[in-house]
Amino acid sequence: MIGFDAIFTSFSAAFHYQSITVILGGVLLGYIVGVIPGLNRSVAIAIAIPLTFYMSAYAAIAFLIGLSKGTAAGSAVSAILLNTPGEPSSAATCLDGYPMASAGKPRKALKVGLLASVIGDLLATLLLIVVAIPFAAVALKFGPYELAAILIFALVFIAGMAGGSFLKGLAAGGMGVILGTVGLDPETGAMRLTFGYAELMEGVPILPLVIGTLALSEMFVQLDEYRRNKDAAVIKLGNSADDDLSYGEFKGTLPTILKSTGIGAFVGALPGLGPSVGAFMAYGVAKRSAKDPDSFGKGNPNGIAAAEAADNAVIPASYIPLFGLGIPGSVSAALLVGAFMIHGIQVGPLMLRDHPEMLFTIFSGMIVASLLMLAVGWYGLRIFAKVTSVPPHIVISVVIFLCLAGIQVQGYGTFGLIVVFGFAIFGYFLKKLDYSFVTFLVAFIVTPMLEMNLRQSIILSGGEISILLDRPIALVFVVITVLMVLHLGWSSYRRWMQVRRQVPQV
Amino acid sequence: MKMQLLGTALLSAAMAVGVAGQVQADDFPSKPLTLVVGWGAGGSTDIQARVLANVLEEQLGQPVNVVNQPGAGGGVALSRLAVSDDEGYTFVFGTSMTITFGPLSTETNYQLDDFRYVAGVTLGQSAIVTGEDRPFGDTWDGLIEYAKENPGTSYATQTALDRMIIEYIAQQEGLDLRIVPTSGGAGMAPLILSGDVDFAYSGGTHSGYADSGEMPVLLGLAEDRLAAYPDAPTLQEAGYDINAAEIRMAMVPKDTPDAHVERLAEALEVATQDERFIEITEERILMPVTWMPEDEVTQTLDDQVAGYKALLEELGGLPQDEE
Repeated sequence: MIGFDAIFTSFSAAFHYQSITVILGGVLLGYIVGVIPGLNRSVAIAIAIPLTFYMSAYAAIAFLIGLSKGTAAGSAVSAILLNTPGEPSSAATCLDGYPMASAGKPRKALKVGLLASVIGDLLATLLLIVVAIPFAAVALKFGPYELAAILIFALVFIAGMAGGSFLKGLAAGGMGVILGTVGLDPETGAMRLTFGYAELMEGVPILPLVIGTLALSEMFVQLDEYRRNKDAAVIKLGNSADDDLSYGEFKGTLPTILKSTGIGAFVGALPGLGPSVGAFMAYGVAKRSAKDPDSFGKGNPNGIAAAEAADNAVIPASYIPLFGLGIPGSVSAALLVGAFMIHGIQVGPLMLRDHPEMLFTIFSGMIVASLLMLAVGWYGLRIFAKVTSVPPHIVISVVIFLCLAGIQVQGYGTFGLIVVFGFAIFGYFLKKLDYSFVTFLVAFIVTPMLEMNLRQSIILSGGEISILLDRPIALVFVVITVLMVLHLGWSSYRRWMQVRRQVPQV
Repeated sequence: MKMQLLGTALLSAAMAVGVAGQVQADDFPSKPLTLVVGWGAGGSTDIQARVLANVLEEQLGQPVNVVNQPGAGGGVALSRLAVSDDEGYTFVFGTSMTITFGPLSTETNYQLDDFRYVAGVTLGQSAIVTGEDRPFGDTWDGLIEYAKENPGTSYATQTALDRMIIEYIAQQEGLDLRIVPTSGGAGMAPLILSGDVDFAYSGGTHSGYADSGEMPVLLGLAEDRLAAYPDAPTLQEAGYDINAAEIRMAMVPKDTPDAHVERLAEALEVATQDERFIEITEERILMPVTWMPEDEVTQTLDDQVAGYKALLEELGGLPQDEE
């Protein structure tokens, strides 16, 4: 099925100057977005999707992947120089990055961060390539029963793991599911929750929903915060030779980088946990296993290396369930599914079967993106250091403009604008009240797939639940899901009881 | 990069404004035209429409902008076209199913006679397909025989139209089928390839498997036999009196002046002979290019609607009406 010549062709396609230009554009834009505090990956991808309509499907995906990788690396810059993470997931980088930069070694800190990012990203990308293919080969044998069981499992898992309370996670997932069922019933053709709008017949349009809940609402949150803290000091880069990163120093951080990459990749492959969890977990492990744990938090390069390697390793690893099963495990993966759908491509195991060249081209594009990330970060160090001081009032207004322009360009018209604002307000409250965003978005994206597979299973089996005995994989996932719900429910109940018992005493 | 983003956005905004102004002139077209696609960017209709727009642009001497108005299986675009008074400057490129079966299966604010059908340029290749190594082989007769003996034989449907056709066939042949819904060719293909479903409707996905033979066609749903599967009988040949042929065509509101319709039709006829349009249609989308003038398209659509209405009556209404 996949010969070496196919792999070779895909690589030569990825190294073509046109693809390199597209990927470079993505990485550069991602880096800038990552550097600017308050602009994050999901905002960037959401507003970039409309731009990709002018590209071929491959270029579009390569661009978006470059973009999402670039943000992860770029966000370290503002974490180190500004003590403000460009992405929430770089918060762990601040812990040692900012003290190190304050101590007169900003360039050293940035370079450690960059190298850790690139190595973490590259290794996790290789892992993705190695793991996703056998995974997809197995998943190809899955029918509607298995897919329905796995999707339910993934949703419950994400709701339980995405942080905060399990109940809030389920609520966020439930909202996603309800919005995901809007539109024509796939079987009877009856209108569901469309309230007479023909525009809603094929479901809530994905782009306005994504741009509204992710990008526009984030700008509202930023506006909020901007009013409160207006100034932060940026550390300027000097020229002292002492500030250069020596090979010896780099070698010293290498074991931490490798270990943290492993942690990041593991966290990334599990749906719902996300890069912040990965970065803090790796930081904690690095600190605990270090000989001098007290130096962490005071400018230890290993602290930066751990946080950045893990942060970047999460992104490619979170594409393992995406390419293997077609299930997005993170916000950026969910957005990629949307982008694939808009370009008429169904992500999942079938891609490996029918378009292996496409899959390999994407993989090789990802590797090219890693390498470009290094070049961009290394040579653009000083320029990006300046970008950190772009004032938020410019950033916020440009982004709001791009959000609305993106909707208009796509021809959604006034209806799209209303939807965008509706979801922006909705997203604002999700964020303020701490409802899991990933759960909501993933639930919305997978609901049509889940509903379809569930209904197919029920019809094909004639409603016999005993069909599960013939389908061991589906049975296993159903059992795990039930156990997980019991466990999560029980432990949140106990926590709740504890809180209740403590309250009268205080 | 940021400048480029801004540039793209401004340019698109400018295009949108450019179309809005209205000028009255006899030398049609005297201003840019808008080609509306009722489906999302990247789909087969969209891919085709973008090439078509390029060719029309050269023919008409005015820019032709492609705008996507997705939703309701092409229905959103038609409901907007129905109230358009743009005299042919805005036209829809779409498939006949939206206008023939759409108003019958869902509530719409448009009917067949709200539009003029400038010309048909492409023939759909939809079919009833199956997978490899099935107990009934790869013939329609084999399937019918098998389904008669095996109640609960499964069929995957994608559209209200193919569901109606299969229910009619089941009624005629006395079959007890399990009809499962699925979305698009990408949803249908895994079910057929893995063997979870016995046979299925396919809009055009099977054309991509013509060489490998993994998706044999049991029955062609076009008027003539399918280009890539000349051995499969058509609906009529198999003994069912249904014309479900899909035509891809250009549509304008019914009060569009004759002169404008004729000018558009001329340009479309040239497009059907243009190499770029032929290549994208026959090699990428794998559908034959054709030329059907206005009266022929209109007649075919009229017949189809009459046929569907009769069929629905025979079946006692649409599935959702039964509940």
